[in-house]
Amino acid sequence: MNEQKRLSVIKTPFLDALREIYPADRLLAGSVQALAYESDALTAFNARPQAVVLPETPDEVIETVRLCSREQIPFVARGSGTSLSGGSLPVAEGIVIALNRLNRIKRIDAETRVAVVEPGVINLDISRAAEPYGLYYAPDPSSQSICTIGGNLAFNSGGAHCLKYGMTSNHILGMTVVLADGEVVTLGSASLEGVGVGPDLVGLFVGSEGLFGIALEITVRLLPKPERYCTVMAAYDDLGTAGDAVAQVVASGLLPGAMEIMDRLAIKAAEAAVHAGYPPDAAAIVIVELEGETRQVDEEFKALQAVIQASGARHIHIAKDADERARIWKGRKSAFSAVGRLSPDYIVQDGVVPRGHLGHALTEINRLSREYGLEVANVFHAGDGNLHPLILFDGNQAGALERAEALAGEILRMCVALGGSITGEHGVGMEKKAYMTTMFNETDMDTMKAIRMQMDPGLIANRGKMFPGD
Amino acid sequence: MVKAIESCVHCGFCLAVCPTYNVLGEEMDSPRGRIYLMKSVLEGKIEQEDAQPYIDRCLGCTACVPACPSGVQYGELLIGYRGQSEAQRNRPLLDRVQRTMIRETLPYPDRFRLAAQAGRIGSLFEQALPEQMRAMIGLLPQQLPPAQPMPEIYPAKGPRRACVAFLSGCVQTVLAPDINHATLRVLAENGVETIIPRGQGCCGSMMMHIGETPLAQQLARKNLDVFPTDVDAIVTNAAGCGSGMHEYGLLFAHDPAEEQARAFAERVQDVTVFLDSLGFRPPQPLPQPMKVIYQDACHLLHAQGIQAPPRRLLGSVPNLTLLELNDGGLCCGSAGTYNLEQPEIAGELGRRKAERIIRLGADAVVSGNIGCLTQIRTHLEAKNQAIPLYHTIQLLDLAYHGAI
Amino acid sequence: MSLQPQTIADVQDIVRAGGHLLPRGGGSKPGLSTPTRGTTSIELRNLAGILEYEPGEYTFTAYAGTPVAEVATELARNGQYMPFDPLLAGHGATLGGTVAANTAGSGRYRYGGVRDFILGVRFVDGQGQLVRSGGKVVKNAAGFDLSKFMVGSLGRYGIMVEMSFKVFPRPAVYHTLMLRYGSLADALQATFRLSAAPFEPDAVDLEPQPDKSCQFLLRVGGLESTLPDRIDRLRTFFNDQSAAIDQAHILKGDEETALWIGINEFEWTPSQTDAVVKVPLSPRQVVDLDRAVPDSIRRYTCAGHVAWLAVSKVELLADTLTRLNLTGLRLTGEPGDVILGSRLGLSMAQRVKQALDPAAVFGEA
Repeated sequence: MNEQKRLSVIKTPFLDALREIYPADRLLAGSVQALAYESDALTAFNARPQAVVLPETPDEVIETVRLCSREQIPFVARGSGTSLSGGSLPVAEGIVIALNRLNRIKRIDAETRVAVVEPGVINLDISRAAEPYGLYYAPDPSSQSICTIGGNLAFNSGGAHCLKYGMTSNHILGMTVVLADGEVVTLGSASLEGVGVGPDLVGLFVGSEGLFGIALEITVRLLPKPERYCTVMAAYDDLGTAGDAVAQVVASGLLPGAMEIMDRLAIKAAEAAVHAGYPPDAAAIVIVELEGETRQVDEEFKALQAVIQASGARHIHIAKDADERARIWKGRKSAFSAVGRLSPDYIVQDGVVPRGHLGHALTEINRLSREYGLEVANVFHAGDGNLHPLILFDGNQAGALERAEALAGEILRMCVALGGSITGEHGVGMEKKAYMTTMFNETDMDTMKAIRMQMDPGLIANRGKMFPGD
Repeated sequence: MVKAIESCVHCGFCLAVCPTYNVLGEEMDSPRGRIYLMKSVLEGKIEQEDAQPYIDRCLGCTACVPACPSGVQYGELLIGYRGQSEAQRNRPLLDRVQRTMIRETLPYPDRFRLAAQAGRIGSLFEQALPEQMRAMIGLLPQQLPPAQPMPEIYPAKGPRRACVAFLSGCVQTVLAPDINHATLRVLAENGVETIIPRGQGCCGSMMMHIGETPLAQQLARKNLDVFPTDVDAIVTNAAGCGSGMHEYGLLFAHDPAEEQARAFAERVQDVTVFLDSLGFRPPQPLPQPMKVIYQDACHLLHAQGIQAPPRRLLGSVPNLTLLELNDGGLCCGSAGTYNLEQPEIAGELGRRKAERIIRLGADAVVSGNIGCLTQIRTHLEAKNQAIPLYHTIQLLDLAYHGAI
Repeated sequence: MSLQPQTIADVQDIVRAGGHLLPRGGGSKPGLSTPTRGTTSIELRNLAGILEYEPGEYTFTAYAGTPVAEVATELARNGQYMPFDPLLAGHGATLGGTVAANTAGSGRYRYGGVRDFILGVRFVDGQGQLVRSGGKVVKNAAGFDLSKFMVGSLGRYGIMVEMSFKVFPRPAVYHTLMLRYGSLADALQATFRLSAAPFEPDAVDLEPQPDKSCQFLLRVGGLESTLPDRIDRLRTFFNDQSAAIDQAHILKGDEETALWIGINEFEWTPSQTDAVVKVPLSPRQVVDLDRAVPDSIRRYTCAGHVAWLAVSKVELLADTLTRLNLTGLRLTGEPGDVILGSRLGLSMAQRVKQALDPAAVFGEA
């Protein structure tokens, strides 16, 4: 039977109620359609929703949430499905609210440096729209060409340039949200202070992983595009020396916009993907980027050069123009997916350690890699101490996934033991919920659960994420 | 196919550049989604028939291929999958009629000419026709230019720098025979002698892309036989043909002709690439300054990675300023027979492209593919915009002859 | 009544004993920390001291009662600072009070406010439980971010006892460019033009004057070798672009430092002031607000994103703020209503209140 015909056959009171809100072409309830939405960028998990809806107005989202609340049907808000933590994994008995068509940039006030956008707007599109005014939206997850601001907000996404200006949370000033029980609240403002008076509810909502509700309209802050970038790529003969170099840059009192490290495997993969011009024989490269007023950057560059030269770099290269800078970053931002060229499967980790423990952490990851007999590629935001070990395995081999997961678990526990975090920017989602209790004790967890119960008494909003055993 | 599917890590980077995803915003209409559906069909999890509408909606523009960090060869995957599924599918009557018309006319210039003329007559009854057919007719020009037979050999002007064999193609020779003649003249201006092998025919690319593999092989085989091997290059001025002929090796995989097909494919070059690497001789300055948009044809930019050469040729013309659309080379919706098979999405993409062009404000639009030119002209005209359109080579030809 | 816990356990015991509690740090914002009748003041000044500080990490952890001045001194020893620019350091402001009241100074313009630099917090909730949220590293996305929630929470949701912050290397030198415009509107126009320019000032303050003119202060920090050039460029930029009515004036050295300390210590407020009120707003709302409060002393920091008003009639201001759909926080004056004007998200705040302090030991949301 034809898919479209089969659709109209499925009749439940809930689906009928959805049909009151959505025309047929925006209510996807066929098995093939549900299949396409069963995973995000973490395919280790999948679940087919009973339907996917494509709202085109905030009111449709509100109506849908209220319907779900009334009928106690779980819902998962989804943008482009690029979560690396399984954050937008559907719930089998629930629906997916796909926000891709809620993608209007409603207002750019260049003079006060704010933009008001809908949740389905793509991260990079904000910067594109702001560009004519000399402004940009700073947080730059590697998936910025496709990930949506709603997803960034839910998971407090980071990126390579978080050192100076912070993560998503530091760039959201206000929002209108529909809470899981259907109440609509407006938080924050168009002031740089955001909430400014009273508890920072914007700060609480950002990073709540969709467990409180859905943001319908978001006010973000824009920054002036730096007048000058100075992107330095230094090659090292071993990963440890590269790690030390980062510590030395920090100690020198410089505040770069970004500081990244890639190891041999990651370089190889990224180079195959985008021909970024990375030195192929280096054990590690450090990418340091200074940004700001030309005069200041030029002066800082002298200091940086001295530090890098003294750090044991084998080779130093400075991006000569915007094109080369773009290539260097494209390589870095493609690195995760590019590892798909080296291995049929991999797990991406996102642990954070204090910068001073980077060297130790890398040595330990190396040791674990040997112990488990699994290759690990390292790409990370060194300036933030945010590690992204990619554990390579072949899912077709019996027990390989389990071994990889066990190795991943050891790395996370190490990060916590060193005083760090289980996730820097990908969020807990499905993937790391089992490790929440290594970081938070029972009281901490109970407190978070109590807050969640207040926001979503029916536990219908993105059920199954963040909390273990949920 | 299995390898292409397995190398997809589901990261979603391809969504950003996918025209259908841009228009529809649905996971099934993205490269990642389609790969997932194809995988599920091959694994027997879903019926081929249920996945088909979404595979059909793919333009085959392959913008996702260069965007993919994991190196998924989506183009090959799609051709392979379509070839396999076409044999098994049961299309509705109207679809079948349309496909038969496409199959039986497009690759053959004489038949296509007749059909196109008949189509214009058919347009008198347009309102009575099903929508699908109306789309076909809507794309035909009001009047077909007279046929212009090609010579067997076209000599170089001045000392000969190179000798090439030229694919004269099928649809284009009917709709715009001038493009081929302009190509001969521009090659000659650059000291290139051109052989136009007799007995050649449609390259088969279009049939390859819509899953008509046996017909594609039959058409291609003819060309393998008649094209000489002792030329500097096999040159084409059609983006789709160039990209299709580059895939001859794949088309003849496990066929006795595979070796010959690969060798053929390696000699194929788009005319702009050939001229650029030969060392292009810039024409005289244009009589007055002209702002030109170069619109990337998907089968040049995405399928063959040709971005700089045509821009360099055009940029070398004194008094010509190139404008960039900056839309990431998003498909205009033409995509071979796509605007016939998926008129709604093709129409939306065409409208978007036309709007961008109008916003940019240019004196002319240039592209390396007849399909793009037809599509863009249709949508510019719908907005009452009379911006002239040229094939890259036509504009260069006019520049050489001071006719612009 | 006031209690002075010595340890975190003491705080927990006090909370478990119940009653109506109001935490107090250095008392630099008396409007917020003076207990009313029936409320017990929990003095946190003994729960003080830096617990961890690794300059290489750009982070520190300290007890809530630690004076910000003490932290600033320690950071300065390592060439670092708190970029959110805590207010009232000279009046004994503590970290806890700065977070609870969300009092960042003019310097927050460059990199962000209190919320942007707090990394983690430990607090005692309404049932006396010690809860941790966030972390001690500069990047962390695990769990609900209650440390941000606590910014501006005014001690109504729990008593913060310990917090971790991110810090940055401090600019070696500061210069300040002073310009005068014919009106506040003209000065605002100057900030609007600055918005699209790639300059990176640390602070942009506007001070309306009694004669309707407006003083425009632009603080720039950086390397000593580059600062004169950068200031020069800014001066040229403003000369070319806007209608300043006076020659630009440049402040340096001690004079410059003293100017900004004075601003952060509220020295610009007249002594007979009823209250100092913070009002976050869009620069688009500045002219309307300014017109509505002609009798107060006003200062607009952060390029017009935050208003500071020294008023003599708080009730009038409350009405004005409600009318303009703005919210204000009264830092000084008599205890009582401290949040003035309209309130957004109150119902959501009440939900959190239910979770953290259902018995309302710390007052209402």
